Amino acid sequence: MRGRLVGLLGSLVLLVVAGACSRSKEGAQQAGGSDAGGAQAAARVKLALNWVPEPEFGGFYAARDQGAFKQHGLEVEILGGGAGVPVLQMVATGQVEFGIVGGDELLTARARGVDLIPLFAVYQTSPQAIMAHASRGAKNIQDVLSSGTIALEPGLPYAAFLKKKYGFDKVKVVPYDGGVAQFVTNKDFAQQCFITSEPIAARKQGAEPVVFLVADEGFNPYTAVVATRRELWKTQPERVKRFVAAVREGWRAYLDNPAPANTVMAKLNTTLDAETFAAAAQAQKPLIETEETRTRGLGSMSRERWETLGRQLVELGLIEKAPVVDEFLLPEFTQAPGKTSP
Amino acid sequence: MKALRDALAPLAALVILLALWETVARVFSFNPMVLPPPSTIGLEASRSAGSLLSGALSTGRSALVGFGLSTGVGVLAAIILSSSRVLERALYPYALFLQMVPIIAIAPVLVVWFGHGARAVAVSSFIVSVFPVIANTHTGMRSVDPALRDMFRLYGARRVATLWKLELPASLPHLFTGLRVASGLSVVGAIVGEWVAGVVEGDSGLGILVLVANRQGNTALVFAAVLAASALGLLLFGAVSLTGERMLRRWHPSASGS
Repeated sequence: MRGRLVGLLGSLVLLVVAGACSRSKEGAQQAGGSDAGGAQAAARVKLALNWVPEPEFGGFYAARDQGAFKQHGLEVEILGGGAGVPVLQMVATGQVEFGIVGGDELLTARARGVDLIPLFAVYQTSPQAIMAHASRGAKNIQDVLSSGTIALEPGLPYAAFLKKKYGFDKVKVVPYDGGVAQFVTNKDFAQQCFITSEPIAARKQGAEPVVFLVADEGFNPYTAVVATRRELWKTQPERVKRFVAAVREGWRAYLDNPAPANTVMAKLNTTLDAETFAAAAQAQKPLIETEETRTRGLGSMSRERWETLGRQLVELGLIEKAPVVDEFLLPEFTQAPGKTSP
Repeated sequence: MKALRDALAPLAALVILLALWETVARVFSFNPMVLPPPSTIGLEASRSAGSLLSGALSTGRSALVGFGLSTGVGVLAAIILSSSRVLERALYPYALFLQMVPIIAIAPVLVVWFGHGARAVAVSSFIVSVFPVIANTHTGMRSVDPALRDMFRLYGARRVATLWKLELPASLPHLFTGLRVASGLSVVGAIVGEWVAGVVEGDSGLGILVLVANRQGNTALVFAAVLAASALGLLLFGAVSLTGERMLRRWHPSASGS
């Protein structure tokens, strides 16, 4: 009897281990044979994305496949994400060195005692938006919220922001399911979106959406922020700086010519076709490269923006006290090396 | 006195478990976002008592409707299945099909049919919880003592009388086993239903609260909401068990304790 129990336990352990192994193998496959035999002394690090490979992450794939990471002595494994992948926790517990999170997520985590630091903000203007059918004639988000149904992810900070600003008493709020099927079939249906993603998909399926940026309403967190934990910054600042430099070069390359990275990502994410990849890469350009990044460098972040976001999250009751910006925003990442501030 | 003694063992186990959890969480100083200690969860639960309560009411209502549907439809289906061998053979595989439906995959269809809201959530709860009622009641009706069945036939009892006076009473212990399983499942079905077909504002349930708390990195509230959902399930389970015991006490060995 006991022997059997031990056997059972043993096989359970084996199962778990096998599961873990196959998962990491999957991850490696997703990373897509990135010069494993390249620079011998390259440091291996992992970057966890918070969504499936999309133009949103184009610069990271460009950095990996066009040599920027390698030149900086890094071998980076990119882990594709999806709904419910706890990137923040993965970075916080050290399962991965770097992860992509939202600016609001990062501040919320900090307020809860998780010492994460932001390194590079892909989107200077948040691509988060609300889309509705053009046939409804809405001129702004307030109009959209005055009737029908809207799909929003429960707990989304900008949903709380819009609720506070306009109220949700005239609109039915339902959970966002990540797709556009309901939108396409229901003329009174509106939903959250990334301006670079769902509207393009909806248009492909014959819908005619209008899109309103939440940033224009006054809530504009840095989005697609590369974060790491303080521990890594303290022990290996050079490695972190090299990573950021390579990411910046990757994004430069992707903005100049998104085609090669798009081809790589299209193989990993077959739900989008080449045309959609190209359209999304084009649509997101002005959100990534702005007046400010021309002087301070791609991905740079400002104190004021982080301060505003902290204050807004407190006003929305999502955190009790705004984290002190100087405790987490390092001068190294407010400006690219070699750029002079205006 | 005996009830007190019976409650002592699980209570002691609970206290020890909580103490252990608290110690582990503190000694290894896990970040509360990863593993909050029970004390933090308790604090968070009292802070968010309002939304936990309204969430529990909403989810409880949907689960209760789903469970009610499961009881009614389940017993009816069992009666139909037991009424003839041909029907049984024709229909049972499809009843089994209900058990196999991956609810998370079919929930979007529920939205298409019923729209977002309590109705779709209750149907999700029903789909998840109906099969144990059908299967157990059916087994109960099939395992009536053949001698008694012969006696009913000998006295020329009509079909309805046989059903009402023999088969249904005889299947009660099985039925209640099915209902006990269904009670917990109905809450699970409601939570999953809310994730896809619920509403986020206004009458939102515990499932939505779990999503909100998770999105905001409030792991303590996730735990609190999950515990509240478990409590709902337990409450329903307790009510079913108690009713079952009351109804069976006088004649069935499974309830008299002998």
